[in-house]
Amino acid sequence: MRLNDGFEASASALTAQRLRMDVIASNIANAETSRGRYVNGRWEPYARKMVVLEPVRKTFTELLESKLSGRGSRTAGVKAARIVEDSSPPRLVYNPTHPDADENGYVRMPNVDILKEMVDMISATRSYEANVTALNASKAMFTKALEIGRHS
Amino acid sequence: MMNVLGGSEMALLRGGISAAELRQQVIADNIANVDTPGFKRSEVLFEELLASRLGNQAGAKLELKRTHEKHIPAGKGKGVVRPQLVTDANTMMNNNGNNVDIDREMALLAKNQLRYNAMIQQLNHKISMLRIGIEGR
Repeated sequence: MRLNDGFEASASALTAQRLRMDVIASNIANAETSRGRYVNGRWEPYARKMVVLEPVRKTFTELLESKLSGRGSRTAGVKAARIVEDSSPPRLVYNPTHPDADENGYVRMPNVDILKEMVDMISATRSYEANVTALNASKAMFTKALEIGRHS
Repeated sequence: MMNVLGGSEMALLRGGISAAELRQQVIADNIANVDTPGFKRSEVLFEELLASRLGNQAGAKLELKRTHEKHIPAGKGKGVVRPQLVTDANTMMNNNGNNVDIDREMALLAKNQLRYNAMIQQLNHKISMLRIGIEGR
């Protein structure tokens, strides 16, 4: 059913954007976390995380069928391929009394930029809203199709 | 024999509705991938193909109806117009290689929905006319 594919594409995007929001929330929550991971007897700060999105490729059977019938799109929605860590260096903050300060008095803070996270958050929210609109449009079309031939 | 239920009008409406459904799916897919790096948008060609088949272009005409498949076809058309899916692979909208313009997609979504509603209404009208013909009231 074709409209159902539209539903699935929108639903997969809602899931992906929600995951983006979760990751952004985690980044903002851990913006000051100097003890993210314990590596070789030393605390590493939390590393900023990012979601990698990629289109869902159809399976071979689905692709073959859509090619044979000459309809259907190449992809069906989006998925979060993986979550990667930002490899940029940590922020150094001078705070000699901090328990995690090094011998020069600097504390290694996460490479999270709150401004960047806020911008990403707005982007994720707007994309989510766009997908809700697309989903509602599919739903309205589905409801309309049920009205075919009904007594008025 | 008079073809009441399977007339050309019904077939055209059915083709149009099915193209609108396919377009809805493709637009939903484009919107879903608005943040995907390297994604290229697709679109459905139907109205343009139908217009060229209906004779807006010189020489192109609807195919004549044949009662046997071995009869010589007249007209340029090859029967039913089917929606065609094209991917726009050569443009860029963002730095990440994605070419989905969200404003355009939302506008196309609204347009497609209105067109779909109009076609359903047309189909309903046709069915209610048939009903009047059958029931005589």
